[in-house]
Amino acid sequence: MPTALLEAHDLVRTYRLGAAVVPAIRGVSVTVGPGEFVALQGPSGSGKTTLLNLLGLLDLPDSGTLRVDGRDAGGLSENERADLRRDRYGFVFQTFNLIPVLSSEENVEYPMALGGRPAAERRARSRELLAAVGLAGKEGVRPDLLSGGQRQRVAIARALANRPAVVFADEPTANLDSHTAEDILDLMRALCESNGVAFLFATHDPRVVSRARRVIALHDGLIEADTVVA
Amino acid sequence: MNALALGWRNLVRQRRRTVLMGIVVAFGFAAFALAGGFIAQSFAGLREGTIRTVGQLQVVDRRAVAAAEETTLEFGIRDAGRARSIIASDPAVASVLPRIDFVGLASTGAKSVPFLGVGVDPEPEAAATGARELVVAGSYVAGDGGDGVLLGTGLAAALRVRPGDRVTLMATTPDGSLNAVDAIVQGLVDVRFKELNDRYVAAGTTLVSRLLQSEGTVSKLVVFLKKDAGEEAAAKRLASALAGAGFPVVVRHWRDLAVFYEQVKLLYVGIFGFVGTVLVVVVILSAAIVMTMSVTERTREIGTLRALGTRPSGILRMFLAEGIVMAALGCAAGAVFALLVRAGLNAWGFTLPPPPGGTHGDPIHVQVYPLAYGAGLAVMLATMAIASWFPARRAARLSIVEALSHI
Repeated sequence: MPTALLEAHDLVRTYRLGAAVVPAIRGVSVTVGPGEFVALQGPSGSGKTTLLNLLGLLDLPDSGTLRVDGRDAGGLSENERADLRRDRYGFVFQTFNLIPVLSSEENVEYPMALGGRPAAERRARSRELLAAVGLAGKEGVRPDLLSGGQRQRVAIARALANRPAVVFADEPTANLDSHTAEDILDLMRALCESNGVAFLFATHDPRVVSRARRVIALHDGLIEADTVVA
Repeated sequence: MNALALGWRNLVRQRRRTVLMGIVVAFGFAAFALAGGFIAQSFAGLREGTIRTVGQLQVVDRRAVAAAEETTLEFGIRDAGRARSIIASDPAVASVLPRIDFVGLASTGAKSVPFLGVGVDPEPEAAATGARELVVAGSYVAGDGGDGVLLGTGLAAALRVRPGDRVTLMATTPDGSLNAVDAIVQGLVDVRFKELNDRYVAAGTTLVSRLLQSEGTVSKLVVFLKKDAGEEAAAKRLASALAGAGFPVVVRHWRDLAVFYEQVKLLYVGIFGFVGTVLVVVVILSAAIVMTMSVTERTREIGTLRALGTRPSGILRMFLAEGIVMAALGCAAGAVFALLVRAGLNAWGFTLPPPPGGTHGDPIHVQVYPLAYGAGLAVMLATMAIASWFPARRAARLSIVEALSHI
């Protein structure tokens, strides 16, 4: 078995809502390997998004450990976590979250610019990625002139810009019509297979679950089932 | 895509807000540029006016620095003609004017009024100080002045004399005896200060020396330098030349003599400093509100940028850059506005109210002082940087998860 990409052990995360303490994740251990296509499934409030945020280094656990590429993420500084997200992670959001003032191409270039890649390389890579997600010819278009499906494609291209090891996607199809959603899922699966990038989805969309090769079911902040699909 | 270009695009995106904020910055800049220009012009005018009265350098008897004279010409410079030619031979000197200060009574027989007199060398005096322009009736005293005198308008009114009338000037000579001479009122002058107009008498040194029986002695020698001549260096040269020739004198700088100049300058700096501070605070507060709104509206975008791997410092830079681009744009607009206002004011020919104690205001003439425009730019850049700093820091410190779920 290759080195685990993500190795979480006994993660706990609680939120305070006024006086109430809400346990979102109550002790989750999970390992994700390179190139996996994993769905985190469960009803609302089951802790899918919280787990995704913890694994994605967007949030810190109250207790438990997380290793990324075998390295303990608990001791990383704010900047080190930012750099790790930039270099090893990609993110796709439910609401696409493109930068409105940047064109498609510039949105895809943004993570590469953060990484200090030369302009020519950024330009070539963003064109290649936009072509791969079916948006050749839309390079100069700003997000507000694109459809939802097109925006999500730009977001996927952006997530892949720095050749990440894993892409986190929180409900990536929730704001798309069913036809577009299926196209997007097929695209992600194809990219997963062709690039060897792991994909980790939080979703309650059965179409997403049906395409996953591994389904982790969460319930009340605990893993209920972890199934590898053929 | 660097921070400034991104800042510019975000400003364009929030067009209406950018325009409003730009107007605030532009007004702030224009206020600085115009007020700065006005102050600089006032100081220059005041300096020029002061120098006209007291000269750039003054040569006086050493004793006159510390004490006031008890009798007229007690601390006078004897053999003034020789001192004058020594001074005039310095290459930096444009002109040397003798002045004799004296007091006495002016009388028409029916009425006597005390006066403050000054004996001058009329022609060089007029050439160097523009004294001729002060004459409002009659004419300036010609040649060595002869028996002609110039009276302040207030004094002439008190004596009820007009140009051509005769007056008798009475004064105490240095040795304490009383003397009088007859003089002809040549012209009336407005010396621009009411108190002085009520007491002012000017006459040629020949007439004054005859009155005071003090041939060859003056109260001081007023020195005007050639353009761009160094005041300090000239003062040193004159002091050593005169000391070498046996004159017990000191050379004083106009700034030491012009208490009024320093006081007015301090007053202006105080007033404009206060108004400027208020202006900066207002701009900072409004800019801070605009930037805070911007951060709040773009909370989710900030969360996204952070998720993608932007460091907190990168977010901080992004908002600071927006503030600075805004400041630069506002200043550019403000400069255009300031130039238009300047052209309008200068074309209008508005006359400023007279300075404290003065009788004449000068017409407004706002000049372009690059320093004032530079100061405006610097102040507005600093202001916007300060105003952007706190909202930008808040943005940089946002929790990513909370920012991403912000609606």
